[in-house]
Amino acid sequence: MSTTKRLYETTFIVNASLDDPQIDGVIGRVQDTITKNGGTITALNKWGRKRLTYPINKKTTGFYVNIEFEAPGTVLGLLERSFQLDEMILRDLTLVLEAKALAARKASQLALQAQQTQMAAEAAAAPQTREPLFTEQPGESRQ
Amino acid sequence: MRKKRTCRFCDAKDVYIDYKDEKRLQRFVTEQGKIIPKRITGTCAKHQRQLVKAIKRARHLALLPFVSDSIR
Repeated sequence: MSTTKRLYETTFIVNASLDDPQIDGVIGRVQDTITKNGGTITALNKWGRKRLTYPINKKTTGFYVNIEFEAPGTVLGLLERSFQLDEMILRDLTLVLEAKALAARKASQLALQAQQTQMAAEAAAAPQTREPLFTEQPGESRQ
Repeated sequence: MRKKRTCRFCDAKDVYIDYKDEKRLQRFVTEQGKIIPKRITGTCAKHQRQLVKAIKRARHLALLPFVSDSIR
């Protein structure tokens, strides 16, 4: 059986009224669901508590989490089912990271690296002696 | 002759419009939350399709509103 692994990205909103360790527990459960079924997590971004633009389940704030992972296709069904069953997760969005998204990500990373090296070079060359703006000449007088 | 308005994304050579970037997407949405047509923003058809998809995903994740009250 061929298991071609693909890169996926899932963003989900956790109930913000939970304590921090409880939120970490929820995120841990999601991670377990992915790794136990043959996936590997490549990135985990917690955006923190944000205000929702419209109330979901009568709540106005949510804790956003973004996970990137590589997994065979069978994981997705289980993952989405686990999101549905978990009462603490309000919304979720799972996407395949297509070629365009990956290309854009690479380009932005390269741009960031280039910017960093440029800033480092500028910082190294920074201390330069400033030339005096006005040189007073003897004998000149303002009229 | 008026200069032809070019697509913002084509100029920046953007390949992918991210739904997570709500600050960028907000510029293409009215105060009421409606998506602005491409004849007004000057976006090309290809990027408008990607933009609309990104806006709808952001709406699903409550990063952008479906409807917001405009100040009257």
